[in-house]
Amino acid sequence: VNFAFSDDQQLLRNAARAFLDERCTSAIVRTLWDDPRGESDALWKEMARLGWLGLALPESEGGSGLGMVETAILLEEMGRAAWPGPYLPTVLAGHALARAGSAAQTARWLPAIATGGARASVAFLDADLDWRPEAAQTRAEPAPGGFALTGVKRFVSWGHVADLLLIPARTPGGLGLFAVEPASAAGLSLAPAPAMDLGTRWATLRLEGVPVTADALVGAPGQAGPLLEDLLRRGAVGAAAEMLGAARRCLDMSVGYVKVREQFGQPIGSFQAIRHRCAEMLMEVENAHAATYYAAWALDAEAEDAAVAASVAKSYVGDAARKVCGEAIQVHGGIGFTWEYDLQLYFKRAKALEATYGDGDYHRELIVRHVAP
Amino acid sequence: MDLHPSPEDRAFRQETRRWLEASVPRGELKTPGERRAWHQQLYEAGYIGMGWPKEYGGQAASPMRQAIVSDELARINAPPSMNQLGISIVGPTIIVHGTEAQKRRYLKKILTAEELWCQLYSEPNAGSDLASLRTRAEDRGDHFGVNGQKIWTSGGVNADWGLLLARTDTAAPKHKGISCFLLSMRQPGVEVRPLRQLTGSAHFAEVFMTDARAEKADQIGRLGQGWEIAQTTLSYERGGNSLARVTRYAAAFGQLVRAARELRRDGRPLLDDPRVRARIGGIYAELEVQRYAALRVLSALEKGESPGPASSITKLSYSEFEKRYQELALEILGPWGQLTDGLPHDFLEIDTSSGEPGSWAHAFLWSRAGTIYAGSSEIQKNVIADRVLQLPKEPRADRAAPSPRSP
Repeated sequence: VNFAFSDDQQLLRNAARAFLDERCTSAIVRTLWDDPRGESDALWKEMARLGWLGLALPESEGGSGLGMVETAILLEEMGRAAWPGPYLPTVLAGHALARAGSAAQTARWLPAIATGGARASVAFLDADLDWRPEAAQTRAEPAPGGFALTGVKRFVSWGHVADLLLIPARTPGGLGLFAVEPASAAGLSLAPAPAMDLGTRWATLRLEGVPVTADALVGAPGQAGPLLEDLLRRGAVGAAAEMLGAARRCLDMSVGYVKVREQFGQPIGSFQAIRHRCAEMLMEVENAHAATYYAAWALDAEAEDAAVAASVAKSYVGDAARKVCGEAIQVHGGIGFTWEYDLQLYFKRAKALEATYGDGDYHRELIVRHVAP
Repeated sequence: MDLHPSPEDRAFRQETRRWLEASVPRGELKTPGERRAWHQQLYEAGYIGMGWPKEYGGQAASPMRQAIVSDELARINAPPSMNQLGISIVGPTIIVHGTEAQKRRYLKKILTAEELWCQLYSEPNAGSDLASLRTRAEDRGDHFGVNGQKIWTSGGVNADWGLLLARTDTAAPKHKGISCFLLSMRQPGVEVRPLRQLTGSAHFAEVFMTDARAEKADQIGRLGQGWEIAQTTLSYERGGNSLARVTRYAAAFGQLVRAARELRRDGRPLLDDPRVRARIGGIYAELEVQRYAALRVLSALEKGESPGPASSITKLSYSEFEKRYQELALEILGPWGQLTDGLPHDFLEIDTSSGEPGSWAHAFLWSRAGTIYAGSSEIQKNVIADRVLQLPKEPRADRAAPSPRSP
C-alpha cells in the first residue's frame, strides 16, 4: 500500500503550484471575475502547452494517458488558486468521447481539446435538480436524418464558452447522449445564470427542436445511463479535489493570519478558541485529502468500491470544505468578510462545487443503495 | 499511489485468515485459564508482539503485517489477547529505554502474558496536566520508596507490574523532576481498588502506594527523564490499530442496517425513511474516510516515517467519529439500543472498540471514553496546534513552575 504521490505526480503538483502562483494570482482571478467571458484564452493555451488539457486523454489522441489521480492533483491546485475556467467540464466531455465516442467524434474533438483549441461541457441537469441520469426530461424526437432535441438544461458549467456540448436526452430507444456544437446548432440558445461565485459560470441551455444527425449520438441510443453515471463519479471526485484545494488554501491563510494578528497584546493564534478551530480545520483537510485521492485512485484502478468512494469523497469533502472555508472567515474576523480579502474566492468556489456533480444528499443516497441494497 | 495490497501481504492475509478460522475459540472465553490458553496459541503462532525486534521474541513485522493481523482478528471477532498494554506500551518502552538486564528479566514474560502489566500515570489531580503528578519516589539507599495515588489504571486489578511515573526531584521544574520505574504490584505497599465506570463494569482501578518499594535496578532511563520517556509511550498509544477499528465499525454497521430494515416508522421500514437514509449514508461515508485515513497512516509507517504529532489528528478524528456513530446507532435502535440483555437475535451483540464484546448500550457508553483517554480531544488539538500548525504557544504559567508538593 502506497498512499504517497509518485515522483512524477509530485513534480506535476509542484509545476502546477508554481505556474498558478505566478500566472493565476488573485488579482488576475478578480480581473476575470469582471470579464463577461470569465476565463482567459491565454492561460488556457498555456495549460495546453503544459500538457494539462490532454492529461487523461489517450496517447493516440494527443493526450498523455494519465488518470484521475493526476487530474485531481491539477484540480486541487486550481481550487487552491480559485482559477476560473472550464477544466473539469472539458475533462469530463473528453473522457466521454474517449470512452464511448465514434472514430469521427474522437478524431474531431480529442486532439482539439488536448491542444487547447476546444472547450467542452456536459449538460447534466434539468430544472428540477434531479442528478440521476434517468431523470433527464429533454427529448430527442426522431426527425429526418436524425433527431430533434427539445428541452431546457440548467447549470451547464461554462456552457457559454463551450465549443462542444454533451446533452443527455430521451430517445424512443432510451436515454441518449448527444454531441452538439452550439455555434452551429439552430434553435439552441445559452443564457448566463449569474451566481455568487463569479469564477463559476453557469448557463441555461434552451433547445427548441435542435436538429442533430444520428451520428451526433455518443454511444448507442439507450446506453447513456452508465456513461453519465461514470461522468458524474469523475465529476464528483474532480469537484472534491478542487474543494480540497480551496479548503487547504483557507487553512493556510488562517494559520498565517492568526500567527501575526494581535489582540489583547498577543497573537490570536495563542488563544485556545482559535487554536482548537485551526486544529479541527486541519483534521478536516487531511481527511478530505484521504477521501479525494482514495476515490481518484479507485477510479483509475477500477476498484470494486470506486463508485462508493466517489460518493464518499463528494459528500464528505463538500461538508468539510464548507466548514473549513467558513471557519477561515470566522478566525479572520471582520477582514475575512471584506470583498478585498481573498477568502471569499475560495469560500464561494467551495460552495458552488458542493452543489454540483451531485450534492451531498444525492451521494449519501447512492452510498446507501450500494451498501444497503 | 497504489493502494492495492502487495501480493506478499495478500498471501499473508490469506494465511492469517486460514489460521484464525481453524483456531479461533467458539464462544466467549469465561475462565482466566481459557483466556491464557488462547493467548498462548496466538503467541506460538507469532501473532503477539509482532512489531518487536526478533531478538526480544517479536517478528520485526512490518506495520502492514501487524495491521493485517489485528484486522483479521477483528473480522472474525476473535476474543482479545492478554496484556495488551504490556505488549503495546511497556515492552516497547523497555526496548527503547531499558537496560540489557531489564530486557532479559521482563520482555519474554510480557509477551507470554506470564506477567500482566498496567500503566501508573494518571492521578486524581494530574489528568490532562499529567506533568503535575505528585506521587513521590524517594531514594532510600538500596531502593526507592513510593508514596502517592494513581487512578484510571487500565487492568490494574489483575496486573503483576506497573510502569510508574513518579516525582524524584521536587526542586526541579515540574516536567524535569519526574522519573520512570517498573513497580511490582504484588507487594504490601500497593493497594488496588477497582474503579467502576459509567458502563457498570470496572475496566480501571485506583492504586494507592504507601512506602511501596521500587528497586534501583527497575529504574528506566535516567533520573528526571520520566517525562521524555512518557512522551514516546503516549505516541505508541496513539499509533495504530486504525484498520482493525474500522473493520469493527463496519461489522456493526451491517447490523445497524439489518436493524433499520426490521424497525418501522409510519408503516414502513426505517431504512426507507429518507432522513434515516441520509444519516446512514453520511455515517458510512465517515466510516470509509476513517479507513482511507488509516491506509494513509499505514503507508507512511511502511516507509519508516514516524507519524509523530500527526497521530493526534488520527486519534482526534476516530474518537470523535465514534461518538457520532454510536449516537446514530442508538437513535436508529430506539430503546432496543439501550437494552443490556435480552436483545432479539437479529440485533445481537456487537464488538466494541474496547475489545470487549457487549451490547449496543455498552458500546454507546464506552464511546464517551475515547475522547478522554490517552490524551483528551482538547489535548490532541493542543498538540496539533503546537507541533503541526506551529501556532504561538498558549500563555501558560506552569512551564517553568516548580514541582507540586506531595499532599
